[in-house]
Amino acid sequence: MTTTPNPFQALGLPERPDLTDEQVHAAWRNIAAATHPDRPDGGDLARYTAASAAYAELRSPWGRSEAYADLASPASGEPDTSPIPVIPGGEPPPVPPWQPLLALTQIPARISSGRPLRLAIRSLIAAGLALIVLQLIPGTPAAPADIVGLILWFVLTGRKDLAPPPER
Amino acid sequence: MSVWTWLKFVTFLWLLRKAFKLARWLILAAAAVAAWPVTAVAGAGYAAAWLRGWPPVRLYRAAAWTLIVTAAWLAALETSDPGFLAAREPGRAWGVGWDQLTMAGLARTFALLAPVAMPAGLALAGLIWAWRIYAVTTGLGGITASAPITFDSRQWKRQVRTAKGLTGAPGAVPLLARGGTIPVGGTIRAVGHRWHPVLALPAASCARHMVIVGATGSGKTNLMIRLWAGWFTATTAAARAGRGDRPLLVVLDCKGGRDARRKAERTRRLLYGAGARRVAIWPDEARLCLWDLPPDELAVLLYQMIDSGTGAAAYYADVLQAVISLAVLAPCGPPLSTQAFLDRLNARWLADAWGDGRHLAEAEHARAAARHLPDIQLRYATLLRRLGPALDGPGTLAEADAWYCILEGTRERSVAEAQAMALTELTAHVATSLDGEPRAMLLAADDYSAVSARVPLSNLYERGRSLGIGIQVSAQSWQGLGATEDERYRIAATADGGVFVLNTPHPEPLAALAGKRRVLETAHRIIGGAWGDGGTTREQRAWTADPDLVRRLAIGQACYIHRGAATFVQVARPRPSPLSLLPPPAPPVAPVAPVPEPHTEPAAAPDPWPSPASLDDILGPEAPR
Repeated sequence: MTTTPNPFQALGLPERPDLTDEQVHAAWRNIAAATHPDRPDGGDLARYTAASAAYAELRSPWGRSEAYADLASPASGEPDTSPIPVIPGGEPPPVPPWQPLLALTQIPARISSGRPLRLAIRSLIAAGLALIVLQLIPGTPAAPADIVGLILWFVLTGRKDLAPPPER
Repeated sequence: MSVWTWLKFVTFLWLLRKAFKLARWLILAAAAVAAWPVTAVAGAGYAAAWLRGWPPVRLYRAAAWTLIVTAAWLAALETSDPGFLAAREPGRAWGVGWDQLTMAGLARTFALLAPVAMPAGLALAGLIWAWRIYAVTTGLGGITASAPITFDSRQWKRQVRTAKGLTGAPGAVPLLARGGTIPVGGTIRAVGHRWHPVLALPAASCARHMVIVGATGSGKTNLMIRLWAGWFTATTAAARAGRGDRPLLVVLDCKGGRDARRKAERTRRLLYGAGARRVAIWPDEARLCLWDLPPDELAVLLYQMIDSGTGAAAYYADVLQAVISLAVLAPCGPPLSTQAFLDRLNARWLADAWGDGRHLAEAEHARAAARHLPDIQLRYATLLRRLGPALDGPGTLAEADAWYCILEGTRERSVAEAQAMALTELTAHVATSLDGEPRAMLLAADDYSAVSARVPLSNLYERGRSLGIGIQVSAQSWQGLGATEDERYRIAATADGGVFVLNTPHPEPLAALAGKRRVLETAHRIIGGAWGDGGTTREQRAWTADPDLVRRLAIGQACYIHRGAATFVQVARPRPSPLSLLPPPAPPVAPVAPVPEPHTEPAAAPDPWPSPASLDDILGPEAPR
């Protein structure tokens, strides 16, 4: 239901959740006075509409915190699926026993919907350190153990950069 | 003994003490240098814990994970050189390392010893960090007297920063975690609870009674929506796996207004992402039928919906109740609509309905109440007209997976109270109905204080407890939980699913639920403006959930109080997995009909434009046009 990409910008306000009602109201009144379409010079309908919509969004503390969270959210550009009154189709099928295997096929999509850049940096660090280990101590029992450690670090720290699976 | 001898003796003792202390530090330094790979790992772990505000357990768990590396190293060693010679290998590598004191040599030694140095170093870092926290918080460490306060304040900031970073990661706080738990957000600090990076509640906690208190703008709605979505996802997953019933979520948004519509839309989007098939928004898009209730319950509800007063009005209340019973429990069956009910509040209808000769007493009651019937009909006609058509059917709660009910408690309190009563009764009916599909139910009331004047929250709680429905209630303050202190305590103390306290100006009664913990307080003797060697340590009691800390919570931070312990958490904004989102609806492609040019009248010259100060006179006092 977000009306503008950045309602704070539309009202010329700083992007902060702790603005007061008075600040928002004053900002809207100034813009409305300058851009109202009933002005002798015709005003600026587009700007007035944008400011009015932004004011409607930011007029309450809850609205401001929501709008701020929308801005801070990295996934704010996700597809809008509302409103969908009823999803057609029957009940979802039961969980198949091979679900864990299906989960593996979702990993590419989870990477692309997560933070692929961070994952790439992590994998580069792990790969670089693994190469250094192989260069320093080739053929020793510690080399495979160190590489296991690097893989473990990559998996444990990188899993939070994946998007959650669909059922979560 | 002469003074000189005594002075020599004292000086000797002082030197001896200092020599012991120096020797101890030198031995420690020598050990640290000798075991430099372990020291390096311990130093790095300690620095990381200090900078990120980790508790020592975080380092212990990291040490435990690195034992996998040790196991892999032992396996590789045994494969290449059988005979359990592992014990000799680190010593050999360490000894060789001292001959190669170059960067490459040190790196090689570290790589060779890493499988042993990592777990040992991280465990050592955990121990040192635990000692440091103990020393500073008890007053044994630190340079200045304010060290404990500064240390705690600094660590809180770092813990918040770490928790925020975690909640920002896409996969760290999903709607549902492994084991069917509901993640809430990144843990800032755990006092008494076991520490985990992400606070996750068992789904059963949401299916019991939970209280959420937070001022407007504190992030209460985000938290509630997350809990609803998490509970829905967990219950749906359990139902799909054959371990429970399908979920039915009923949300009562008791304040209403524009924000309620936005919240409803957001909740619906999230629940669709979580697997819901139908999410209904009442009364905007869906209706329910009050007349589906069993006749006895319907009669009681209709009587309760009218504010009948006390004292002298009690007589009228009895007449009202008798008339409602006669109208609803008539032999021909209960009314099926508002109009049918109002038609029955008529002397002739009641006389005909009960005049079959088999209900002489009821017919007599109907005759006696005849003179009151026009008044009663007028009151119900007014009430039911104000309630609108949304409770006149068709529709049942069981038809959807979730209902978001918007009650205009701020604008029309009496109507919202009647609606809340009706919706609660319909929910109870679904829970007790034997002919329908059994459902796992959660009734969530957001800002219930807006409608709680006639249905106390404690009644709702007890009702939910007896029916096996989870009840989740939110209020803006401690005072909003109930009319009296007794009722507030009854609600808060019976919240066996836990209490979430967000930023609120009076958190003491809720913080008291977590109780107090034993802490050590050290008093130092001051000599000449500096700390002396002497002092005492004694046991004291401190808040488990510090009310001052709760009062200072920022937006989105909450304190979860459960079973005498508290966890401070940075609540993550609920977001469904991007993989479960449906594509946006396709834009309509219907041809656009040409719109004729509007006929314009020649306009008169406009009036001079008013100043911003008088703009409200034109645009209205509140909303923009």
